[in-house]
Amino acid sequence: MKAKHGVAPYMRNGTGGKIFNVFLYVFMAAFMFVMIYPFWNQLIISLNEGTDTMMGGLYFWPRKWTLQNYEYMFTRGNLARGVVNTFLRVGVGTATCVFCSGLLAYVTTVRGFSGRRLIRVLFIATMYFSGGMIPYYLLIVNLGLTNTFTVYWLPNLVDAFYMLLIASYIYGLPESLTESARIDGAGDFRIYFRIILPLCKPVIAAVCIMVAVKHWNSWFDVIIYNPRGNWDTLQVILRRILLEREAASRLANDQQIMEAMRRLTTNSIRAATTMIVTIPIICVYPFFQKYFISGITIGAVKE
Amino acid sequence: MQSTGSMIVPKKLKSRRFIRRLKREKTLWLISGVALAWLFIFAYVPMLGIVTAFFNYIPGRSFADLDFVGLRYFREFFSLPDFMQILRNTLVISGLNLSVGFAAPIIFALLLNEIVIRPFKRVVQTVSYLPYFVSWVVVASIMFTLLSANGTINEVLISLGLIDSVIPFLNRPSMFWGIMIIANIWKNVGWTAIIYLSAIAGVDQELYQAGAVDGLGRLGRVWHITLPGIRPTIILLFILGIGNLLNTGFEYQLLVGTPMTRDVYEVVDTYVFRYGIGLGRYSFAVAVGLLKSVIGFSLVIGTNYISKKLSDISII
Repeated sequence: MKAKHGVAPYMRNGTGGKIFNVFLYVFMAAFMFVMIYPFWNQLIISLNEGTDTMMGGLYFWPRKWTLQNYEYMFTRGNLARGVVNTFLRVGVGTATCVFCSGLLAYVTTVRGFSGRRLIRVLFIATMYFSGGMIPYYLLIVNLGLTNTFTVYWLPNLVDAFYMLLIASYIYGLPESLTESARIDGAGDFRIYFRIILPLCKPVIAAVCIMVAVKHWNSWFDVIIYNPRGNWDTLQVILRRILLEREAASRLANDQQIMEAMRRLTTNSIRAATTMIVTIPIICVYPFFQKYFISGITIGAVKE
Repeated sequence: MQSTGSMIVPKKLKSRRFIRRLKREKTLWLISGVALAWLFIFAYVPMLGIVTAFFNYIPGRSFADLDFVGLRYFREFFSLPDFMQILRNTLVISGLNLSVGFAAPIIFALLLNEIVIRPFKRVVQTVSYLPYFVSWVVVASIMFTLLSANGTINEVLISLGLIDSVIPFLNRPSMFWGIMIIANIWKNVGWTAIIYLSAIAGVDQELYQAGAVDGLGRLGRVWHITLPGIRPTIILLFILGIGNLLNTGFEYQLLVGTPMTRDVYEVVDTYVFRYGIGLGRYSFAVAVGLLKSVIGFSLVIGTNYISKKLSDISII
């Protein structure tokens, strides 16, 4: 018997249980505070005058509202460039990775194709073995990919995990669909784009989101492969501010020029940049979490 | 079946059949060919690059001109004091991740499962993933703000009278590991708990009713029914954790670590990064990285073997 509404009969409890319930809800409320407050803290600092923040006592609400921190980053900092680079990276990186992983996933599911096992094995092997950081770095250097935009998408063209994820979805589709198309003389591209891909929308959406978040959040490859900084993404701009050097020196120069910007501090600028990097994620993640969850469950089954 | 067939078929016909097959699979092989070429360059060439560890690699020089040095770089690494330091840091960080960091999501999942108000449970869970989706750069930035000398936490502690002077949390080596594990848990607890929650959802509901009939309390039900029910999941994730013992991550260390805390944060990956990309000692760095891969791989194989014997759970 399953309880339809509220508490199942066997879950009812006495005084001890009630005390536990109180503890549980208090604990969870505290837990949510710990998860959310650090972001809130950044938000109010980013909306408060930097010099005022330094006086302390700023906990829950901005005291001296200002958009100067954001304004500074967009006008004086190289943030606008970073936004463009980041969106380019996420767009191109996601499109190419999903396109190639999907197409290859289809290839590995074509029944009777003689190379399908070979491809699966060779790609899956890369999930367990790799050359490590330095051989990979030397490869990128020797290919001349450093300080290019290409380095963001070309090395990440196919991801074995996403390939398996999409392939396992295609396996679940009825075989008769492709069979009849094949008898009608349709080629593989036609079958993939006209029949398979439209049916794979849920898994393609999930993979798109996972790849996009990965591209949005990555910073380490930017630092080692694009040291010159002309392809800096938002994450790296934020990281530069973390190192404070750049921001502090830039600020010192700027302050002599712009009297109006006197009230900025490294701290307030950093908070504004953090929010710019975080807000897109906060806005979309409640909607895409279900895709992520289905991603892990399928992944767990597959492994 | 195929081999018996080919015995009867004459050679000429066989090759013709092969060609016909290639023709039919033309498109598929075209895609596969491009993919395999890409895979060879970006995955297998770096694997071949491991041999750099046994040569004195100098950028720009062809492989034929390089001196073979054998195990020199491995020996060098073992003789350096850095070796013991890295080993200690790795073991401590992994130990914390596999104990406190491992228990946290289980406890969180069990507590979350006790919430009977569905919407509240959903909100808590959604909130719990939030830190997982932001980058370590963002986490580091938040930590700088909260934990710096004039940060919020110092301010609160002082105004409550708990400390007299500010604590430089991020520059104090003795606090590095503790803060790191807290940050790790904060970022990942909600996410890892998903796996346990789905395992808990799979536990037979009738067992709970039977348990209630037998007079089990709430704690008893968790201890005797839920925990044994998710035992395979726990074991599986623990094996994966041991297999990843040497992968302590390096993003946190590189972002939050300072020169003052280097002695406690340096792990293999940060060391390889510093020597290889920072100082250009490529062969030495490849040797250190290779050592890590070999040990890591044997750990995966070893734990997989043991778990197969003990509980029939295998990850490979």
